[in-house]
Amino acid sequence: MSALPVSLASYIGLSAVMFFVGVAGVVLRRNPLVMLMSIELMFNAANIVFVAFARAWMHNAGHIFAFLVITVAAAEAAIGLAIVVAVFRSAKNVDVDEVALLKG
Amino acid sequence: MIHHVMGVNGFYPLLMTLWLLPLAGAVLCWTFGPQLKQLAGWLGAATLGTSFVLTLLSWSAATQNSGGALGAHQSLLSWIPGFDFGLLLDPLSLIWTFIITGVGFLIHFYSIGYMHGDKAFARFFAYMNFFVFAMLTLVLSDNFVGLLVGWGLVGLASYFLIGFWFERPSAVAAARKAFVINVVGDVAIMFAIFVIFTKVGALGFGDVFANASQLGDWVFVVCVGLFIGAAAKSAQLPLHTWLPDAMEGPTPVSALIHAATMVTAGVYLIARCAPLWSVSSDAQMLVGTIGALTALVGAILGTAQWDIKRILAYSTMSQIGYMIMGVGVGAFEGGVAHFFTHAFFKAQLFLGSGLIIHALANEQDVRRMGGLMKKMPFAFVAMLTGVLAICGIPGFSGAFSKDAVIYGALAHGHPWLYAIGLITAGITAYYMFRMIFLTFFGSYRGDVDPSELGIRHPELAGTPAHDEHEPHEHDHAPAWIMAVPVGLLIVPTVFAGWLMFGEHSWWSQFFSAQFAPEHTVATPVSDVMTTVFAVAAVLAGFAIAYLRYGAPAAMEHAIERLRTETVRMPGALANALYFDAALDALFVRTSQLLGTLFGRLIDPLVIDGGVREVALSARWLGTLVRSFQTGLVRAYALILVIGVACFVAYYAIAGGVH
Repeated sequence: MSALPVSLASYIGLSAVMFFVGVAGVVLRRNPLVMLMSIELMFNAANIVFVAFARAWMHNAGHIFAFLVITVAAAEAAIGLAIVVAVFRSAKNVDVDEVALLKG
Repeated sequence: MIHHVMGVNGFYPLLMTLWLLPLAGAVLCWTFGPQLKQLAGWLGAATLGTSFVLTLLSWSAATQNSGGALGAHQSLLSWIPGFDFGLLLDPLSLIWTFIITGVGFLIHFYSIGYMHGDKAFARFFAYMNFFVFAMLTLVLSDNFVGLLVGWGLVGLASYFLIGFWFERPSAVAAARKAFVINVVGDVAIMFAIFVIFTKVGALGFGDVFANASQLGDWVFVVCVGLFIGAAAKSAQLPLHTWLPDAMEGPTPVSALIHAATMVTAGVYLIARCAPLWSVSSDAQMLVGTIGALTALVGAILGTAQWDIKRILAYSTMSQIGYMIMGVGVGAFEGGVAHFFTHAFFKAQLFLGSGLIIHALANEQDVRRMGGLMKKMPFAFVAMLTGVLAICGIPGFSGAFSKDAVIYGALAHGHPWLYAIGLITAGITAYYMFRMIFLTFFGSYRGDVDPSELGIRHPELAGTPAHDEHEPHEHDHAPAWIMAVPVGLLIVPTVFAGWLMFGEHSWWSQFFSAQFAPEHTVATPVSDVMTTVFAVAAVLAGFAIAYLRYGAPAAMEHAIERLRTETVRMPGALANALYFDAALDALFVRTSQLLGTLFGRLIDPLVIDGGVREVALSARWLGTLVRSFQTGLVRAYALILVIGVACFVAYYAIAGGVH
């Protein structure tokens, strides 16, 4: 049995919504953990588009790219969390607006 | 372009050897000076003596004439194809080489006695040999660049030797002055060479003279450039002021460099470039006039000097004025002849004055001499023959060459220069016999209090005596070392002029192939009459000198008269016609003013200002960019998003356009 066919436009629409939710999370929230999660949301928005196009055009490059993005996301999360921990240790604070040592 | 070479190409080992020997002597004296000690002098003299013998052995090669190619040409190295450096020994350079090595040898020999006991004995001979090498490079080069190299090197050697006693501030100042003025001339020659190269495309003498027509109207510019160089080197107006000061050097240096050889390099340059001068009558007029004026001014200033070496220095300037006038108006043979005889009698006069200076423990002020005839009869004879020669007493060498120059001015259509030449001859006799009377006649005034003679600052009046180089009584070199060269020089001083005697003289035969036939005009007076006029002028000058300094009445009150003359010396004469002051005001002050202007305005505003503006703009840019560095991570993120949005928007729109 085949599921109700979902149009490509729907995937792109979902991806766009997820992406802008992520952007809003990064720009508006001040908690670095939430910002990292928002970045993950943006990665996955990209993944959905990759996979959707791969399926639509029967081309495996999109799948492969999705795996690549997952790998990068994992690395990003590891580094990002490490930074968050380091900042917390020195500043006793995880509000990104308070951490502004590079202000010119 | 066909390559023209002057002289017969060939291999001339003698020529190369006579050129390089003095350099070897200089290097040896310089390197092994402390070991050689007194031998350095003998070594220096020996290299020159050998060079002189080689010059004589090269005589036939230098005068060979094969199908228009005159003299010996030896290629040494090729530069860019077409620009070879080589040596050229033709009659013109042979005469100079003969004087440089011959008179140079006698002066080196004399210096062994004169410089005996000087603490820098070997250094002196190293410099002297180096000078001879440089001078030989100048006259033997077959192209303009080699000539300029020699030109610069003789200036350097002159600088070394004027400042030889560098403990004396006045010697250092004189050396510096000579060098700076000479560099002015070097630059002018360089400019002339640039013009030649641009217009003709060659620098060898043969190429340039064969294609001189390509210079067109620029030939005047080239001649003026070369003449400024000649004027600086040969002490012509207004670049002569360094020569009297150059007398700070040891007396043999004055004899060799500042009388016999280096200062006549300008005469050589003009005679060498005769093909250029003969096509530019403007240049002839200019050079002839400057030469005549220099002869006159030098003679006038010679009448007002008290320092025996300065008298001789101004007479040198005056005599070179004659030579320049001769070669300037186109009487090349006569001008070169006067160089030839002048080298002998002026070296004679300087070496003779050196005998006196040496005997009087470095006294150079003629007011403090007098009555030396009995004490130093040999020096008297030497000086007197020199004076008779320079005055042009018929029979002595100077008469033939000087009358040739004076008559040459008339024969080439310059009656005014002729008149100046005759007047100068009279003044020359006056100041030369003034020197003779003051030095050798009357009674000795060296023990008179200087202030009684009107000498206000005895230490400034002449060159002060110096313990460092003053030979001690027990340490004198044998007297014959200094006497022999002077005695030998008496022979050519008296007789050299006979080479130029007569219609088909040896001299005109010798130069018959060197210079193109001269275009002379009919003259109202003959050359014999010219000699009569010149002798009359000389007798008048002698009579005035006798009445003022030699007559018994003048002798009686010599001390009072000298004091009066010193005190009442007109300011213009005492200050050498204000040439120094004028050059100082015109060039030195303007340079200083320009320096101040640049130091106060251009440097702080333009140079410093420019640098400061660059620094300030960097800071301003930094301030601007810094405002973006808020330190707010979310702001960065927003900028990132906006940037990405811009990219996406661009590609969306551009993609639509495709």
